[in-house]
Amino acid sequence: MGEDRLHLLMGNEAAARGAVEAGASLAIGYPGTPSTEVIETLIQWSKETGMRAEWAVNEKVAFDVATGASLGGVRCLVTMKSAGLNVASDSILSVAYGDVVGGLVIYVADDPGAHAGMEEQDVRAFTCPLPIIDVADQQESKDAVVAAFDLSERYKLPVMVRTTSRVAHGKAPVRFGPVVVVDRKEPVKRDLPRLMRASSAWVKEQHAVLNGRVEAVRAEASSSPLNRLELKPGRRVGVVASGASWGYLQDVLDAHDLMDVSLLKVGTVNPLPTGLVKRLIDGVDRLLVLEELEPVMELQVKALIADLGKRVQVVGKLDGSLPRVGEYDFQIVEAALGKLLGMALGRDEPELDRLRSEARRLAPRRSLPFCPGCPHRGTYTALTQALREMGYKKDEVIVTGDIGCTILGMNPPWDSCWIEVSMGASVANAAGFKYAGVKAPVVATIGDSTFFHAGVPPTVNVGWNDTPVVIAVLDNNVTAMTGHQAAPSSGYSATASEAKTIRIEEMIRGAGVEKVVVVDPYDLKQSREAFKEALSHDGPSAIVLRRVCSLVARRRGLLGPPARVEAEKCTGCLLCVRTLSCPAMSVEAGKMAIDQASCTGCGMCAQVCPFDAVVAGGG
Amino acid sequence: MDDTVEEYNILVTSVGGQGGVTLARVLSYAAMDQGLNVRVGETLGMAQRGGPVQSHVRVGDRVHGSQMPRGRCDVLLSLEPAESVRAPEFLGLGTRVVMSTAPVYPIPVMLKEETYPELNVITAALGRIGCRVHALDARELAMRAEAPASLNVVVLGAYAALEEVVIGTESMRRALGEALPRRFLEQNTRAFDLGYEEMRRQL
Repeated sequence: MGEDRLHLLMGNEAAARGAVEAGASLAIGYPGTPSTEVIETLIQWSKETGMRAEWAVNEKVAFDVATGASLGGVRCLVTMKSAGLNVASDSILSVAYGDVVGGLVIYVADDPGAHAGMEEQDVRAFTCPLPIIDVADQQESKDAVVAAFDLSERYKLPVMVRTTSRVAHGKAPVRFGPVVVVDRKEPVKRDLPRLMRASSAWVKEQHAVLNGRVEAVRAEASSSPLNRLELKPGRRVGVVASGASWGYLQDVLDAHDLMDVSLLKVGTVNPLPTGLVKRLIDGVDRLLVLEELEPVMELQVKALIADLGKRVQVVGKLDGSLPRVGEYDFQIVEAALGKLLGMALGRDEPELDRLRSEARRLAPRRSLPFCPGCPHRGTYTALTQALREMGYKKDEVIVTGDIGCTILGMNPPWDSCWIEVSMGASVANAAGFKYAGVKAPVVATIGDSTFFHAGVPPTVNVGWNDTPVVIAVLDNNVTAMTGHQAAPSSGYSATASEAKTIRIEEMIRGAGVEKVVVVDPYDLKQSREAFKEALSHDGPSAIVLRRVCSLVARRRGLLGPPARVEAEKCTGCLLCVRTLSCPAMSVEAGKMAIDQASCTGCGMCAQVCPFDAVVAGGG
Repeated sequence: MDDTVEEYNILVTSVGGQGGVTLARVLSYAAMDQGLNVRVGETLGMAQRGGPVQSHVRVGDRVHGSQMPRGRCDVLLSLEPAESVRAPEFLGLGTRVVMSTAPVYPIPVMLKEETYPELNVITAALGRIGCRVHALDARELAMRAEAPASLNVVVLGAYAALEEVVIGTESMRRALGEALPRRFLEQNTRAFDLGYEEMRRQL
């Protein structure tokens, strides 16, 4: 980790380096694409850096731990995806009204373009005036974290660093800075008017202090290296840009050798560097605002133009020139810049585009399957079989899905999971369907990490109200979708190779749902029978389907021998492929074949074959 | 080979699990080794086993964003035939395509619910866009190199044999040791060499 050379880093890895350089003592978060690699990297580095880096059960818990640590005198980084900010926001708003001691930085990753399967939330529009630094590239991802710690301690405020998928997961050379050694500060003194919200007078005073601090950040923003103004004489046109748009803008300016456009690169999207914006407005007649998703800067720029009594035309989202949906790219920015300059910059290539879409149509659909040996394949297959054996049609029984790998039960051949709302919502959603009078059983499917994150309160609600829903917890002992981070079900943690295993069935019983069984989802018969019993039960019930994620099992060398097909017995009915849709299966000369390298030996295909043509591993 | 590169765009397309992201990492290490500026664009959200994966590797003094502009792909490295037409918006006149010909069939194709395009249909469609296609059976060559997981490195070797590569072969060889586990260096070098020789023969 030398300072002398360039390091090719992902934006998230660069942010991790920023936390090291700033002397953070704690990094804590909940995994969520595209933010996960910050903590992952800091866990890898922890032996060398001595920083405590770990996963919390959810983002609010992570932020609350960090708040305590900050008030205890050390610097803390909290990371999450933008949906996680919603979970933590209850506490973030509260802490904004008080003080921090050690710097407290919240790193949040938005996802314009919805690559990770979540809403296109724009955290810059978060309903709290906290400072937000929007990063445009990987170098800035590191530098912004360092700057945010400094701001946070000087103004006693939590400070947010906002990234987006393309920056968080893109890589570029990053130059390191020195690592500062930060001594632990004196912990906070008991100071109720600053640290409590239980008094109207205190809260109003705290609100005023917060606003005053943010205005002080604004006053220094115009001279901060996070914001850069380049005024160019001549053409009297300018661009205000932040985030990933800045890179596309640089590409477009280079491609067309445009040197005479004034530029304001904004880092502190909140508070906006009003002084710099006003100077830019003074120097132009036309202005383009580039920001993905919501017109957060554009609205403020327009207000400033009105305040100044200027007549500056703004090209942006509000005049329909730029989209509010999806991410930007070179062409979108090129077209917008062309509109600003009153000239066509891009070339239309209708014939080539027609040929391209012809080519595109050749590519076959690839839906995301469960991995070979995924225990969730067993769960959804057993559920499908149970419903069929009980005489239910496929569209008769509502299954509420949840966040994570478990939602892939939505794909063929299971076609399960009717809705997906947010972490933990499946259980309460299922209860709501019963409240509405749905007669048929309602099943909620939820993973172990998701259950710990936000599935516990709705389970208590179900137990308390005796609501007859079936809660299926697909417990693969890990937070799988984001890359196998430790969960309370793992038996280990980021900081300890052995940790307590928190048993989900005990939590469910404790929540008042007495009918609970634990089954092995590789055993289709056992799982199917468990589903049939739960589906016929007239009170709340739960099934914990427990089997470690097959990718984790592979990494630990826990796999059994692969299954193989006895070709003379295989009739080529392909019932196995149709039922299990396993990527280790292929069809060769009309018969099923099993790829020996990717088969994990789960044995489910041997269980579904009506002709005993599959020999399970070791058989 | 020029000392300076202004803008050079490599697109890597693959099916999750084939090693496309790893190939992009090797290329970016190789470019760094040569002192070139690099941007790598990836979205890792749902790119797990079995799904389509794309990586952008942009090299040169005038590259900023992590995604290349439309039509400005200099070379497409496709680890699977149908994936070469997954993102044709980046391809254009003069794009060189190095493609592994071994298909990975999605399950609906196995069940004959959907069709998989013939190789010559894919090649012709790329040709109409203006691409020049170089095809090789990288899976077979990887087997021959006794490195079945190194299909991606075979394609890298084939790419290195093209005449207008801005990243030097020696930098690529060094990157095989730097960006990939050392214990696989020997088998990866064999895979690289077989890909290189096969493309040399074709040219």
